[in-house]
Amino acid sequence: MRFFKTYLLPRILMYFLVIVVGVTIVFIIPRLLPIDPIQQMIGQITSTGAYLDPKTLDYMIETLKELYGLKGTLWEQYWGFWRRLFKGDFGPSYFQFPVPVISLIRQSLPWTLGLLLTTTVVSWILGNVLGALGGYFPQKSWAKILDVISMVIRPMPYYVLALSLLLLFAYLIPIFPLGGGFLIGGRISFDLRSILILLKHAFLPAMSLILIGVFLWFQAMKLVVQSVKNEDFVSYARLGGLSQSKIVSRYVMRNAMLPQITGLALSLGQIFSGALITEIVFSYPGLGTLLYNAIFTGDYNLLMGIMTMSIFVITTSILVIDLLYPIFDPRVRYR
Amino acid sequence: MRKVLLVVTLLLACLTLAQLAANVPRHETFIANQLTGRVGTPGNFNLWAGWRWQDRGIQNLLLEPLWCVEYATGEIINALAAEPPIYNADFTELTIKLRKGVYWSDGVPFTADDVVYTIELVKKVPGMSYNAQMQSVAEVKKIDDYTVVLKLTEPNSRFHTYLLDRWGALRILPKHVFEKVEDPMTFEFNPPVGTGPYVLKAYDPGGYWTLWELREDWQRTPTGMLYGKPAPKYVLIQTFGTAEQQVLAMARHELDAADLTMEGLRAVLQRVNTARAWRRDYPWTVNIDPCVTGLHFNNAIEPFNNREVRWALTLAIDIVEYAANAFDGAVTLSPIHIPLTSAYYDWYFTRIEEWLKSFELDIGDGQKFKPYDPTAGQRLAEYARKRGYKVPTDPEEIKKIFGPGWYKYAPDVAEKLLIKNGFKRDPKTGKWLLPDGKPWTITILTTTNPAHPSYRNGFAASQAWKKFGIDVTVMTSDALATLGQRGEFEVTTDWPAAEPWGGHPDLFRVLDPFSSQYLVPIGENAPWGNYGRWSNPKMDSVIAKLKDTDWNDTESIINVGLEGLKLLIEEMPTIPTFNYPGVVAWDEYYWTNYPGAENMYCQPYHHWPNFKYMLPFLKPTGRK
Repeated sequence: MRFFKTYLLPRILMYFLVIVVGVTIVFIIPRLLPIDPIQQMIGQITSTGAYLDPKTLDYMIETLKELYGLKGTLWEQYWGFWRRLFKGDFGPSYFQFPVPVISLIRQSLPWTLGLLLTTTVVSWILGNVLGALGGYFPQKSWAKILDVISMVIRPMPYYVLALSLLLLFAYLIPIFPLGGGFLIGGRISFDLRSILILLKHAFLPAMSLILIGVFLWFQAMKLVVQSVKNEDFVSYARLGGLSQSKIVSRYVMRNAMLPQITGLALSLGQIFSGALITEIVFSYPGLGTLLYNAIFTGDYNLLMGIMTMSIFVITTSILVIDLLYPIFDPRVRYR
Repeated sequence: MRKVLLVVTLLLACLTLAQLAANVPRHETFIANQLTGRVGTPGNFNLWAGWRWQDRGIQNLLLEPLWCVEYATGEIINALAAEPPIYNADFTELTIKLRKGVYWSDGVPFTADDVVYTIELVKKVPGMSYNAQMQSVAEVKKIDDYTVVLKLTEPNSRFHTYLLDRWGALRILPKHVFEKVEDPMTFEFNPPVGTGPYVLKAYDPGGYWTLWELREDWQRTPTGMLYGKPAPKYVLIQTFGTAEQQVLAMARHELDAADLTMEGLRAVLQRVNTARAWRRDYPWTVNIDPCVTGLHFNNAIEPFNNREVRWALTLAIDIVEYAANAFDGAVTLSPIHIPLTSAYYDWYFTRIEEWLKSFELDIGDGQKFKPYDPTAGQRLAEYARKRGYKVPTDPEEIKKIFGPGWYKYAPDVAEKLLIKNGFKRDPKTGKWLLPDGKPWTITILTTTNPAHPSYRNGFAASQAWKKFGIDVTVMTSDALATLGQRGEFEVTTDWPAAEPWGGHPDLFRVLDPFSSQYLVPIGENAPWGNYGRWSNPKMDSVIAKLKDTDWNDTESIINVGLEGLKLLIEEMPTIPTFNYPGVVAWDEYYWTNYPGAENMYCQPYHHWPNFKYMLPFLKPTGRK
């Protein structure tokens, strides 16, 4: 009961508060932008040279306002948004009216999840293992080589890295496609051939994200390990005659993992914002370009849909990690 | 062991370099990039229900309009229509004669029923594209299977232009498909049915490509009837994320035609032996685009509400330096508010040139100044020659490539005009002060895309006016469309006037936005083409005359159009600078006879609806 009152309840309350505040901010921010969804739509039509008769402009604007649900007061729109949200409906996309936001997210989400979930987890595992070993055995030659590679890759702008991979493996040594998620003209089915084609198309985008991700985790983990390995309990274990591998895995890594686990939770949550540059460079489908287009077309509903999902997943991940923390960290358990 | 072998074989098969599925041979496929980017609604082809990325093949392969503008040859193509529009004397009735023998791709004949149904449906359902415009139809009647008559609520001599395709029109939808649909707004129209020569074969659920296949009965489409069999069996419209990716794709011969940046074009021309641009040599760019770029003053605020200030800013521009800063000189100058395409050159420029030469500005103290410089094009060609580019020597050719003339670089005259209006220079800094003594600063609002001609105009203007002594800031914004319509700017790089038809001399859509009836205060929506909120009673009377002139009366249309253009030059509410320099390249590795400057049978953009009319002229090289 004490655990519920002092640990669980405050966290659950905070969880709901963060969601309400986050969603409210997501509702307000786009409306403060100087971008109007209807005027952006008109801009899109005219930018291609299509004729928009001035006589019909006002009629068109009024009709679209009515259809988009932009006619009520801000309060009415706000409550309407919450009402819809409880039903799992984000309303129609303005720019792709009347296609429901949820179906647009549904189209892009599998690609983003497939790519980013895999690369985030792979980067996290690889980066932390290498970082732990590199931090514990800094004098080894392989650790020094890893350090050099990390120093080269980490500061490299992601765009340059991604483009270099594309140039190298899609043009100079053309073994991967220039872009896209699947073979052009082909249909995705649940067989081995389809899976291999999907993997082939995802390889370069995934590689670019893993390279950056691994060395990010590597450096962070290495620093934590270097600090932990000088703690008294590690010296004690060493003096107690425990094997190196046991000290690294049971004592050093386990303690150093705590901030990394929180980092993983945050990274997993951010997946829902997509990977814009990856999608653009590799012409890979996903939520990133959807979100970007929503911002500059003033598609409030789509923007709110993606951001609300992102807020929900980040807060839920943090809550789950918070609840699991006592398992990883006995100090929390005994507090 | 057999399983391992199978996996290895599949792995190797997947690692081969096939760009296309095995049943889509590359040499039978024409590949073009998609201008508008990744499709947000890949499974939805219902372009009557809103924005659906129509250049993914919907407008350029699947559907035929009633009429289509062809600005390369200066003609209006009768596509589903059999002849030009027929109006009654007071323009309250429009008769449309339809082409016989056209079939929808599912085998149903195209008839007047489709036209009647389309107009009635679109008029009835709010939110459908052209719903607002169709409110002016009082009644639409089928006379016979191939004749439709529309009764309008008020006289409108240009009603048919809603049905005239120029990268957008109300296109006719299949009645037999839509009449079975409960909600035409949510209907996805997948698989789509069209009157054009291609049908959908496959599309990327991620939105990056759409593949089209030639109809077996292509003869029963307007394209087939007018121009013959389109050469490629397949057409792939693909989105490439970056300009670099497009260059790489062209280098791998995986992209036949693309819109590029100027830098991308140079890279392609250097790297790909079989690639070329609109012109084989400098300036490479498409100079027949039916759109003129420039600068747009906000005439509703000081000091831009003063004609002489606007003229002073025009004369403070050295157009050769301006074009050099913007596009390294690879542009066609236009001194009038329409682009100098071949057709407009003949229809308008040749008739206004003498007037331009004699046009005078009153610069005070009884002095007059003739601002027009007929040698500007020659000077631009000279600049290019000095830069080491191969430039023709024939003056007529130079006029067509670089433009005939523009306005003089006359900072001394600009100074006189400003002083006449109370401006003065700060004695300490030499910079211009407003009549109230405050420093004169100008903010130019432009797009965020550095490759766009708008952006280039913005920065070129800022250089020119800074040199003249004005503090200029360029503000880039993704909210350009919103801020422009609301009039929340001083100077913007939106087009100096709405784009003309290109293939027809009628300037109604260029001039009508300047009508005083649409004039709104800052903060409200101004029509495209006049975000600068300029109007003039003389322009109102020009527009009224044009409204009463029949679309088919070419000579009268040109004469009234000239009146409008002269007024725009006298008042200079916006500054036209140069034609939109279209940067396109195509690779002749698999296909040749794409239209170029020396072979101008069709406009050169694959994203335009006219693309389908170009395809019958392509020739395969036989390479596999």
